[in-house]
Amino acid sequence: MRARLLLLPAVVPVVVVLGATLALGGAQSLGLMPVVGEPALNLRAYRAVVASGDLWPAITVSVTVAGAATALALAVGLATALAVRASRVGGRILGALAASTIPIPHVVGAAAIGLLLADTGWLPRLLGLDEGAWPALVAGPWWGAVVLEYAWKESAFVALVVLASLAADTGELMDTAAVLGAGRWARARHILLPLALPGLVTAGAISFIYAVGSFEVPWLLGRSSPEPLSVLAYRLFTSTDLTVRPQALAVAVVTVALSAAIGLAALGLLRRRPVLA
Amino acid sequence: MRRRPAGGRALITGGQASLALWFALPLVPVALWALASRWNDSQVLPEEWGPAGAGSALADGAAASFATSLALGLTTAALATPAGAMAAYALAFGRLRGERAAALLLLAPVFVPPFVIVMGVNVAFLWLRVPPAVALALVLMVTAIPYTTFVMRAALASYDIGAEEAARTLGASPRGVLRRIRIPMLAGGLAASAFLAFLVGWSDYVLTLLIGGGQLVTVPMRVAAAASGTGNHALVAALSVAAVAPPLLLLLVINRLSVPRTSRPATDADARERADTELTGASA
Repeated sequence: MRARLLLLPAVVPVVVVLGATLALGGAQSLGLMPVVGEPALNLRAYRAVVASGDLWPAITVSVTVAGAATALALAVGLATALAVRASRVGGRILGALAASTIPIPHVVGAAAIGLLLADTGWLPRLLGLDEGAWPALVAGPWWGAVVLEYAWKESAFVALVVLASLAADTGELMDTAAVLGAGRWARARHILLPLALPGLVTAGAISFIYAVGSFEVPWLLGRSSPEPLSVLAYRLFTSTDLTVRPQALAVAVVTVALSAAIGLAALGLLRRRPVLA
Repeated sequence: MRRRPAGGRALITGGQASLALWFALPLVPVALWALASRWNDSQVLPEEWGPAGAGSALADGAAASFATSLALGLTTAALATPAGAMAAYALAFGRLRGERAAALLLLAPVFVPPFVIVMGVNVAFLWLRVPPAVALALVLMVTAIPYTTFVMRAALASYDIGAEEAARTLGASPRGVLRRIRIPMLAGGLAASAFLAFLVGWSDYVLTLLIGGGQLVTVPMRVAAAASGTGNHALVAALSVAAVAPPLLLLLVINRLSVPRTSRPATDADARERADTELTGASA
């Protein structure tokens, strides 16, 4: 009984806010709470946002950017975790450096990547490339700066999660395998990777969902068209034309559905993860 | 440590150095611009050094934003840390029937992007005439609860509840157990959890933008405005430093706190890994 009471201070706000978000957000997207006009249950907002030709490109951009950034973050993060464990002094310095990027707000990350990678940024100056030779990473057609910002921030997060999941008795297992004659690659493949896998799935899902839902990074570093889901929803939500408000909520509902699908897929993967024999 | 051939060692050092470059490189232009007073477009280094960016940030009213951001971070930590700690305690020792469902529910805010939360609930805040600051605190708390709850669950996994039982057998009151046993033994986890909650409030951009309705101007909002507008790189850099310094300082303090000072080298690595576990989740 008392344990249930202890749950309340966390559960009540979450239920109230998420419940209201889904109920009121859903109702607004279905035309039940229009800012102007009569309420009526319909799919008009969803149809309108599809018909405007904005929704599919938004989904494509959001999923592609989040997918590319997450893949890069997983690769760099895993490499970082292994490099941190590979030697004492160098590993400690690298670990501290990676951890120190964790508390940097994404909006600052975006500003920093802008100062580094824009046409007049520091990297083209350092490399002595003028504007013609330097690829348009900021606001360019390939969303390079946006992908790199997410990958930069999330790779440190991936490294921390993987290091945590390797912490257990990895050392003993590695030593035993070495004694039994397993080479370095065999040990990495059969011990480190299986142990790191749950951490990689968790961190990958969280990074992906974050990248799909983030607004400020693509808004600062991306191009103005096509817009990703968050920027499209924001534009519709803050439009002076109040009749498009339900469309903003329709985009929001699509974003939640996408995030929830990724989250559930990750949970499913984690539940059937292979047990280390 | 096993002995390695020289080639392998060079490979490891090279790999570590390139990864260090990956993490450090984006911070270099921020540091340079924060200290530059004049820097021509074609030069690799500034021509004149000085705190020009900090000057224009202060003239712009950045100090007030700093206070606002600090208040948001501290409020979020004050609300989400005890809520998450109590929930984690109930999940760990409460023998609840719906434990899995409750844990999943408390994780759920991670799956709902902040912009979606604002767009959904804002009508309710407007109807009920909730002051923007209160509405913002509530939504930030909900966004932080997954982190505080799960950091505390990790901390409680290695917590020996036997100490509480022993204290109670020896006549300690429930209050005494909380103050003399539970809070001191969980101090490291509580600090890491409060840090993450602080970070949620301190770094937020879109929630403050949409709920605050322009009344609350935080440091991240100033960074975004400067980075998207004027082309004043020194201002962007100075504001970025202001946005990064407080959480970095807190991180240093917490790492000091959670590594036991008496530890031998062998347990030192374990302690470091424990601290890392506790900080997991910070990025999202």
